[in-house]
Amino acid sequence: MLPVLTAKEVPTSGCGPPYGCICSEFHETNTQKAPDKPPARGPETYGRVRCAGLVLKDSAMSVVFDGSPLKAMQSPHSHTAPAALSAQELSQEIKSFISGVDAVQGRKLSVREHARCAVRLLRSVPACRGAVLEHLRGVYDEHVSTFLHNLETEGNASSGATSNLEDIIQEVHGVLSEFIRLNPRAWAPLVSTWAVDLLGQLSSKHAGRRVAPHSSSLNELLQLWMSCAATRSLMEAYSQCLAAMLAWCPDACVDALLDTSVKHSPHFDWVVAHIGSAFPGTIISRVLACGLKDFCSHGAKDQGPLVEKGSRVPKIGSVVGILGHLAVHHSDSIRKELLRMFQESLAPSTPLSPSSSSTSWEASPQLRRAAVPFLLQLAAMSPNLFGAVSSELVELLRPAVLLQLQALLQGLPREELDNMLGLAVHLISQSPTGGARVLRFLADTATPASVIISGPTPSPHEGVREGCDRLLQMLLLHLHKLVFNRSEGSDVGPFGSASSQPQRVIPFLEELRSHVAPLCAETLRLERKRHLWLHQLLCLLSVYGGPSVATETLCQLLTQARNPEELALAWQLHATLSSCMVGLVPAAVAHCVAQIHTHTLGRRQLRQLLLNLAAALQSQEEEKKAAAGAAGAAGAAGAGAQSSMAAQIGSAVSVHLHDFGPLLLHGDPAVSHAAVRLLSCSPLPRTASPAHLLLLSRAAVTHFFLTLRRRGEAGKTGRDAGQSGEAVSCSVLLLTRFAAYSALTLKAIIQQLVEGALHKGNAELFGGQIADMSGAPVASPSVSPDLGASLLDINCRFGTTVNFSGSVWSVFHAGVIGKGLKARTAANLPDPSGVIQNIQTLLAVIVQCCSSSSLNGSQSPSDPEEPPPINAEAAKVIAVTLVENVCPDVANGELSWPPEEHARTTVERDIHIRRCFEAHPVLFPLLQVVAAGRPALCYCSAVLRGLLATLLSHWEGSREALSTDSPWHLQASCLLVSCMGEGQLLPPVLANVHEAFAHLTPFEVRLLLLAVWEYVRGNGPLPQKFVFSSDKGMFCRDFSRDGDVSRYVAPIHSVLHKNIDTLGHLCWRFQL
Amino acid sequence: MGDIRQSLLPRDVLSAAKELLYHLDIYICNMVQSGRQPPQVDSKTLDLIEEFILHTPKDRNAPVRRMSALQELQLLEIMCSCFQEQSRDTVRQLMFSALFNLQGNQADESRMALLSKLVSMAVAVGRVPILECAATWLQRTHRVYCVRLAQVLVDDYCSMVPGSGPTLHNIHSASPRFCCQFITAVTTLYDLTSDELTPPMELLQMIVSWIQDDPRLVLITFLNSPLSGSQPISSLDVTPLGGLIRWCIKAPLAYRRDKKQTNNGSSDGEPDAARLFSALHLSVLQVFMLLPNILNEKGLFGRLALLQMESVAALASDLSRLLDQADKHTHAATSDTHAASQLALDRLAQALQVAMASGALLCSREDLRAICSRLPHNNLLQLVLSGPVMYYNNIHTPPLTYSPHAAHSPIPTLPPHAPHTPLAAHPAPHAQYPAQPFMTGMPFPFRPGH
Repeated sequence: MLPVLTAKEVPTSGCGPPYGCICSEFHETNTQKAPDKPPARGPETYGRVRCAGLVLKDSAMSVVFDGSPLKAMQSPHSHTAPAALSAQELSQEIKSFISGVDAVQGRKLSVREHARCAVRLLRSVPACRGAVLEHLRGVYDEHVSTFLHNLETEGNASSGATSNLEDIIQEVHGVLSEFIRLNPRAWAPLVSTWAVDLLGQLSSKHAGRRVAPHSSSLNELLQLWMSCAATRSLMEAYSQCLAAMLAWCPDACVDALLDTSVKHSPHFDWVVAHIGSAFPGTIISRVLACGLKDFCSHGAKDQGPLVEKGSRVPKIGSVVGILGHLAVHHSDSIRKELLRMFQESLAPSTPLSPSSSSTSWEASPQLRRAAVPFLLQLAAMSPNLFGAVSSELVELLRPAVLLQLQALLQGLPREELDNMLGLAVHLISQSPTGGARVLRFLADTATPASVIISGPTPSPHEGVREGCDRLLQMLLLHLHKLVFNRSEGSDVGPFGSASSQPQRVIPFLEELRSHVAPLCAETLRLERKRHLWLHQLLCLLSVYGGPSVATETLCQLLTQARNPEELALAWQLHATLSSCMVGLVPAAVAHCVAQIHTHTLGRRQLRQLLLNLAAALQSQEEEKKAAAGAAGAAGAAGAGAQSSMAAQIGSAVSVHLHDFGPLLLHGDPAVSHAAVRLLSCSPLPRTASPAHLLLLSRAAVTHFFLTLRRRGEAGKTGRDAGQSGEAVSCSVLLLTRFAAYSALTLKAIIQQLVEGALHKGNAELFGGQIADMSGAPVASPSVSPDLGASLLDINCRFGTTVNFSGSVWSVFHAGVIGKGLKARTAANLPDPSGVIQNIQTLLAVIVQCCSSSSLNGSQSPSDPEEPPPINAEAAKVIAVTLVENVCPDVANGELSWPPEEHARTTVERDIHIRRCFEAHPVLFPLLQVVAAGRPALCYCSAVLRGLLATLLSHWEGSREALSTDSPWHLQASCLLVSCMGEGQLLPPVLANVHEAFAHLTPFEVRLLLLAVWEYVRGNGPLPQKFVFSSDKGMFCRDFSRDGDVSRYVAPIHSVLHKNIDTLGHLCWRFQL
Repeated sequence: MGDIRQSLLPRDVLSAAKELLYHLDIYICNMVQSGRQPPQVDSKTLDLIEEFILHTPKDRNAPVRRMSALQELQLLEIMCSCFQEQSRDTVRQLMFSALFNLQGNQADESRMALLSKLVSMAVAVGRVPILECAATWLQRTHRVYCVRLAQVLVDDYCSMVPGSGPTLHNIHSASPRFCCQFITAVTTLYDLTSDELTPPMELLQMIVSWIQDDPRLVLITFLNSPLSGSQPISSLDVTPLGGLIRWCIKAPLAYRRDKKQTNNGSSDGEPDAARLFSALHLSVLQVFMLLPNILNEKGLFGRLALLQMESVAALASDLSRLLDQADKHTHAATSDTHAASQLALDRLAQALQVAMASGALLCSREDLRAICSRLPHNNLLQLVLSGPVMYYNNIHTPPLTYSPHAAHSPIPTLPPHAPHTPLAAHPAPHAQYPAQPFMTGMPFPFRPGH
């Protein structure tokens, strides 16, 4: 291949203009060096910049400029003319050149004559070469000075001053390019060195000029210099040399470029940029190759893990500089080149690899071995390059490559390996991007092959795995040092105290901060060694990132853990961190709450988080129990941390209870279930604002009804049923605990429970029907949608909607004339067993709330068999709520009863009350509860009275033979009377009358009920008639203080007598 | 002389060098006039030269003084005129050797660089005295350095500066002695073993035209040098004959190889080169034919081997290797290859025959046979090796006797390939090769083609 290229460079007759010639050579070199690259790239860029330079000048000049080499090209033998000088003349020329004075005429030579003389010598006296080139430096410099001066004076000076040197420069350029073309081997190294050196000198010398742009603005600089004939000609000469030399000794000219670049660092950049963009592929690869050779020749003697930039050999410094510069536009090529270097250094060495020429570094095993350390070193010195490579490098490290790498590195001495390892660790810890991928790669590779868990990559070779393992451990160790040394100087105070001095940044950890969530997820997979590493890393990350990251991490773990083992990782993390951070748990919980508020958690995560928190709290409780059982059990110390953590979580959760409260009503049953679990086991806060409490209680009650509904929907069997059942019990527990918290919550809960039970949305749960204002069940909720109501419609129906209740008139809307009575909708009775169960549950809740309240002080259940009595206050709340809901009109009304006749004034209200009781079967049980909490039933007196009044009128008007023919009324009568008896509104004798109702005729029932009414009218149902008996622990009424009962018993006895045949067995119940 | 150092130190580089040259001139003139024998420049002066002209740092602390290229050119110009204006050869020689004789120290590199530039410049501006001095230098200096000087000249005039060839060509008329030494150095340098060591075409043309114009040119050094044993060890050969023969013999193979590798190179260069080498071969043979008279005049016939046996042996082994390679590279030997190798062998046979006949090569046919045993068959060579059928004793030659030692183990003790081993031209014939059996002008009993 080599001779072929050189043959192209020897003068050929058929070549076009010189640029075409150069370009064609570029094409060939490019295509031969790397056929996969687009060959046109270099020349195109080159051509573009050159044209830009030409455009800036006037056209005449460019013609001259382009014409001159053309002439030289056309007449290959033109050089014979000056060679005709005789020895004598040459001697004269030399003298003139040296002295600057025309040797014959004795006058001083002008600059251009002097330069002409130099060019003649260059053509004829080889020994003068050095001196001539040196002299030409002055000429070029002169031209640049004039050029810049003209620019500065805005072309005030005569334009002739510039042009007189320009033609000389064209001439020199022509001669040089001709020489290079004719004998590239001899001239290219010489001219390239000279040109580069001169360029460097010129650009740094004139860098301070006013017109010269700052060295940072490369493009302007490039424009300026390319518009100057001298520098442009130098640049072109250099390009020509480079193009010629690429074929056989590219290193030499790039060496020169590197050296000069080091010398004139910022000002020379434009040259490197131009050359680099003209020959990106070559320059980059050559620069790398040069650097590698240099690196190799300097050996690994001073190669430490942390090498200061200054102390390193200058070449690698300038390699870094140049590549960094080119990285702006050619980062892709640089990355490719670096990766290619890496790959080729690993590729098995073939003695005669066709792709590499004999001069390239791939041929030398020593260089190949040095490539990886070199790249590491390079990366260590330039974050740019490292960043470019690191991301793709990881992709490259397939198992096969790893094996090769291992084979390569096995040959290195131990010490060097350690150095490299250190360097690699340092690099990883300093890498600003891609840390997560690197980490994943390392962990994947280092994780031992397992039968059970198959990682994403096939298991690598054991040696490779060990290497990665080692690297990972070193990395962790290194990070550990960094993290803990970092905070050494400034004592990290309590939570949240930021140290005053800026702390050292560790890019790796900095980047991983944003990957906490995936890291946590991966840790929680609990794969063999991996989770140990990752866990350690998470600890470091938390310490590094301070409280924010620590809380984030903990929060993530809490959110993502799915079972106790995984959750244990969170406790471990906390145990580690608790030594250096205070208040972590509250912060974590607060963070979780914040996440809940911002809806960043998915349902699943939210549920998991709540369950995990609940689990933590439950574990605490179990711990307490266990501790109570066996105080000195082994492992108590280990559990200590956990329990303290659980306690912290408890307190933290209790602070945020009101934040968790709304979750009870979350749309996802699972979430609300989790929430209720958490809340049901969470301790309650010492103090809480009433608003929060009310909110919570409302949520809890609503949730309770929700769970009831879900239980009904879930059906009887299956997992759902079990879960919904559990949800109900949790909800019950929550309500109970919450009711016991304070009087306020008790009241609120009970009130809301009752209201909720009667609410039309929940009524059907308890077998109720939806009643309209008049107490009659409406046809169907869907028939009268609220939104469809129009004002006009309501106005049209004005007469029917006016409420006359409370006045003596009553209007009953019984239907439209001609269409008969209003059709009563057939109540679609829900599942009776479900209704019963729901009612039972509701009652259980209410009873528990009422009885477990702490209002009665220390009321330890002396007899666990007997349920604790109903709290009177709580019962009063129920009573009041009942009244308010059943008949808002009579709330806070008169408690004492009027004569029976007066009942006809309140017919409408009474009917409403009766319909309520009809619609809501749950009312009677509630009344019973109220009755149990004496004297609360007194507060229901209006309702009782209304109900009794309607019952009386029903039995009065009833023409049935037996009372059992109107079952509801019979049942209602029985229940009413028994309730009043239980509530001690009636003495036992009267209270027992309901036992006889079923055996009587309606009229007789009316008589008995009338007796009841009379008694109540005579002995008003007033709370002050009750006294607290401490031995029973409840209020009781002493009937002896009231008037004689016997006169109310007379109707009973006469009814008994009349029906003695059927009621004989009940006689003893009515003994006074 | 050593006391002027203090006065030189403060001066700038160029004027210090000028001053030193001036003092050196005076010093040597005085020395020659005083007639001290032998005229020898003392070491202090040499140190001064190294310090102020060659700018070798005296000690590590001293700052390195360097001349710019311009200053160096001025210095060279001064030197040129200095040597030009010095009328006395002795002084000139002494001065030249004081400046440029190698001292075997670190200054030699800059000495060589300066010398190369000076000679190159002298060639350009035709400074005969300098060329003469350089010719003497070439005679006395180790061949490695001579070769380097020649290399610089060839680079300068044949490759670097196009069109400057004619300038170099003129040295033939300016200084034949230098020209002869130059040819010797060039033939030593380019041994045709690789591409780099193949003479440029321009150089080849030049040499051929020189020798064609004046065959005696190659013998000038031999003719002018005293036949004392003062030839320094490892210097160049007295004549370029050995090198020229090597060129002619190896050329057909070497140039064929070139042509093979540069398939599409200038196709007209190759026959050109062949023609040139052919002419050169003829010229060389003609030079050989001149030798008997000269040797006889000097009374050295049969006693001075201008062509060393060792170099012939090396050439033969080289040739056989080349032929082997040629065979290997072209598995089926083409007619081209065959013709080329036969041409090379023919030339070898001719050269051997003429050299032996002209008394330039002193050896027996037995020795030759041993040397050439590995070469492939060639009719002419066979003839040369087998020798004439009958012997004619001549009074000038010693009787034809083979030492039994030589007969039994004639050659294999020789190193097979030692092109750069010391090849001193021994005035006396080897004891091992006692006789030269052939006479000049002896009629061949059998002459092919006649």
